[in-house]
Amino acid sequence: MKTKSRILLLAAALMLISLYFFPIWNIDLHAPQYPEGIGLRIWVNQITGEKKYDLSNINKLNHYIGMKPIEPESIPELNYMPYIVGSIILLGILVVLLKRKKLVIGWIGIIILVAALGLYDFYSWGYQYGHNLNPEAPIKIPGMAYQPPLIGSKQLLNIKAVSLPGVGGLALGATILIATAAVVTDKKGKPDDAK
Amino acid sequence: MLNVVSAPIQSVKKLLAALTLSVVFISACSDNSGNQNTSSSNSDLEAKAGKFGLTAWEYENGVGPIKQKLNIGNSIDEVMAKSGEQIFETKCMACHKIDERYVGPALKGVVERRTPEYVMNMILDPADMTQKHPEAKKMLAQYATQMTFQNVSQEDARKILEYLRSVSK
Amino acid sequence: MKKIILILFAVTLSAVFLTNCTQSGETASDIDAAKKVYVAPGKYDEFYAFLSGGFNGQVSVYGLPSGRLFKIISVFSQNPETGYGYSEETKPMLMTSYGFVPWDDAHHPELSMTKGVPDGRWLFINANNTCRVARIDLKSFETAEIIEIPNSGGNHGSPFVTENNEYVVASTRFSVPIPEKDVPISSYKENFKGTLTFIKVDPNNGDMNIAFQILVPGIDYDLAHAGKGPSHDWVFFTSYNSEQANSLLEINASKNDKDFVAAVNWKLAEKFIAEGKGKKMHTVYYNNFFDESTLSAKANKLTSVTVLDPKDCPGLIYYLPTPKSPHGVDVDPSGEYIIAGGKLSTVIPVHSFSKMLEAIKNKDFIGDKDSIPILKYESVVAGEVENPGLGPLHTEFDGKGYAYTTAFITSEIVKWKLGTWEVVDRIPTYYSPGHLCIPGGDSEKPWGKYLIALNKITKDRYLPTGPELCQSAQLIDITGDKMKVLLDFPTIGEPHYAQAIPADILLKNNKKIYELEKNYNPSAVKSEKYARVERKGNEVHVYLTATRSHFKPDNIEGVKTGDKVYFHVTNLEQDWDIPHGFAVKGANNSELLIMPGQTKTILWIPQQEGVYPFYCTDFCSALHQEMQGYIRVSSAQSSVKISFN
Repeated sequence: MKTKSRILLLAAALMLISLYFFPIWNIDLHAPQYPEGIGLRIWVNQITGEKKYDLSNINKLNHYIGMKPIEPESIPELNYMPYIVGSIILLGILVVLLKRKKLVIGWIGIIILVAALGLYDFYSWGYQYGHNLNPEAPIKIPGMAYQPPLIGSKQLLNIKAVSLPGVGGLALGATILIATAAVVTDKKGKPDDAK
Repeated sequence: MLNVVSAPIQSVKKLLAALTLSVVFISACSDNSGNQNTSSSNSDLEAKAGKFGLTAWEYENGVGPIKQKLNIGNSIDEVMAKSGEQIFETKCMACHKIDERYVGPALKGVVERRTPEYVMNMILDPADMTQKHPEAKKMLAQYATQMTFQNVSQEDARKILEYLRSVSK
Repeated sequence: MKKIILILFAVTLSAVFLTNCTQSGETASDIDAAKKVYVAPGKYDEFYAFLSGGFNGQVSVYGLPSGRLFKIISVFSQNPETGYGYSEETKPMLMTSYGFVPWDDAHHPELSMTKGVPDGRWLFINANNTCRVARIDLKSFETAEIIEIPNSGGNHGSPFVTENNEYVVASTRFSVPIPEKDVPISSYKENFKGTLTFIKVDPNNGDMNIAFQILVPGIDYDLAHAGKGPSHDWVFFTSYNSEQANSLLEINASKNDKDFVAAVNWKLAEKFIAEGKGKKMHTVYYNNFFDESTLSAKANKLTSVTVLDPKDCPGLIYYLPTPKSPHGVDVDPSGEYIIAGGKLSTVIPVHSFSKMLEAIKNKDFIGDKDSIPILKYESVVAGEVENPGLGPLHTEFDGKGYAYTTAFITSEIVKWKLGTWEVVDRIPTYYSPGHLCIPGGDSEKPWGKYLIALNKITKDRYLPTGPELCQSAQLIDITGDKMKVLLDFPTIGEPHYAQAIPADILLKNNKKIYELEKNYNPSAVKSEKYARVERKGNEVHVYLTATRSHFKPDNIEGVKTGDKVYFHVTNLEQDWDIPHGFAVKGANNSELLIMPGQTKTILWIPQQEGVYPFYCTDFCSALHQEMQGYIRVSSAQSSVKISFN
């Protein structure tokens, strides 16, 4: 691989470090009585409110519709996701050192797979929270589910939920794009200069 | 909604009424001064009073409900004075003494300084007096406390006047 | 808001009607005024105004220019609406050397200052009757501290601050025997004394401590203001009753042509204290704090104060003769002019600070009173404002070279020019204004946009409400050459004095909730898990949690008649504007209003057997009405054990 492509690859791998510093996904809730906004932030290892007490306030609101409280400690994925991301970064660096294009493609494949699994996992948690409601809830609306959208916005009773990737999620996307670009641009160079 | 609309209408009505009334009053006043003109012989007094926006009659007798000379003889009606004293004790004594200044001025001799009508107007409408009459204004500046209307009827004011006449003798 | 819209609507409508009916020019100007005070729904006012409540003992918070009322801050009076002075956490705030005092007369709000400009950290206010000074925290808008002023017979001339809150001052209205003792009232001249008190304020946390008191001749001290710029080291106190009358003061204390403004050099006082001239005096007074970590007040009894006697401290005080019972004393933004409202005088005398220093240097004295030199009037006076209206009381400044004085008797505000002393404008007020307030109007840099006249009498100005009528504040635009009344709004209690400050300065620090993890109230329950009921002898402690929309526990049994039941209620919410209330049937004190993250305790002693409901009083959610519970009360002999769920 050309040096330029390898630098790009290295950059792509290191970009994933931002996942430790920025949320991957944002869910923002808009309602008239929250003029200042209220929202959730999904990180590689935790779920927090947008502001200090947002998570507990969202849980308080959710108890009216019988949704289980969101307790980050009960979501096991948050415990091992940091290691998966760490491994991907290390693999990336290894791939850069080994200079094998096939390995690069494999590495990209792993990232896409992890991202897809992650999204599916996020969707299934959302589904569970949104559908698995306490039948004793004070507010019951037949046929109503409260699953937040995977991506985009959705009106749930008086609240508009907007779900979009956060800085971390965008960085993950950028990693995939940059790494792919590194592979694609490298085609024009020598096929494989590994020694 | 009805209230919202009717409130301003009412206030407008009031205002209109006030305007109409004041027009009537103003014309009434000028009528009065016309009458005074014919009866008054002192044009100096007229000029002096005019400076304060008063008629000569008002300048001498005060501004208030008493608008005509009262029929008061020289002798004192003791019964009336006695009854006036009782009213004085409940309604005036917190601020006035006969022989010395208190919150307000000493009242001995007040009937020599002022006309009986002036005294009654002061009792019956002190706020108007201290706003319009130069002498009453001076008193307010000197004593720094606005004299209050003590819910005295015209009849009772007349009795207080009689009492003040009796102590001034 | 509804009211304002209604008023606006009424104003607009009547304006339309009037233009139809008359040729009056006032209507257009009414609409103009209405526009100037209209703050659209959802928009913020430009200024916070803090109006004292006078005889209600509290402070009300208004917005300017709208005149909308936002809050009544409980300070010196119990407030059953919030539980202030009733809850166990706040009762110690009202402790004094006379025991628990549930009421006072709060007169002068005073914003803390940095470099002579209001800084928005604290608001001080005095209690006239049982002499105290309170400090209100402007993050939470709650009373943070109250200090009692010993050796004082009426804390009227208070709490005025020096330019960097070095001191909050207080002067005695009534002179009294110091120390208090049983003497004939007629021995006034011989036995009665006044004090001027200097309270040190901790620049970090605002804690107040009495640094020293100055023992002064027994006359009535009235008001005060600290110097500014060149006069920074000085505080000026007005006084009346130089006649030393002890009865019927309205006559007997109005005889002398001149009373005094006392000029006190506090820098010199510090020097005398350092030299050991201060004498420790035994006296009892209280200093009560609201501890932000336990969210509870603590009453501390203190027993000693340092007193300076002017006889031992030459140069500490000078008397400036001032005509006829001066009331307010106000220092212009430059610090050069000291204006006294000689309430019975026909002129407003203005003293010059630089002339005062010159006169002191030249020993231009006409005598002394108890070793305090009396300066010669002609040597210190800079000028006199002629024809200022009758009963001039208080003056504030717009920072553009003009002063504004209230004339109580003639019901007007008189605008005059500093330096030339000529009256340039006057405007009637409705009726009888006492103090007036320009935002920052007593500071080095006034925000000279509005003026509020604080009127004592309203008579025919509003819909009547029987013999007792509201007092009012009148908002006047002072940006032009001519003053213009914009709005006239009723107030709570007696709006004795007010101070106002741009809203931006306070907005950035506004507290939204009490953080649960920082709630160190020993009775706090930070999770429903720990909600419980415990019996200790005849005391029952109910550790309740409140959250939308239930109490935990909400069924309590095992309480007996005559038990002292303490409800310790913790609001578990951590969201802004989700307070919960707590009320139990038959409570002989008050309800509780508990802010998010707060714990409050109320004592309840049930006398009769039965089942008592309790519920949330603050509409907290759609299921607020469901937020309720029961407590069963059994006879004193019953064997029902404590249980709860």
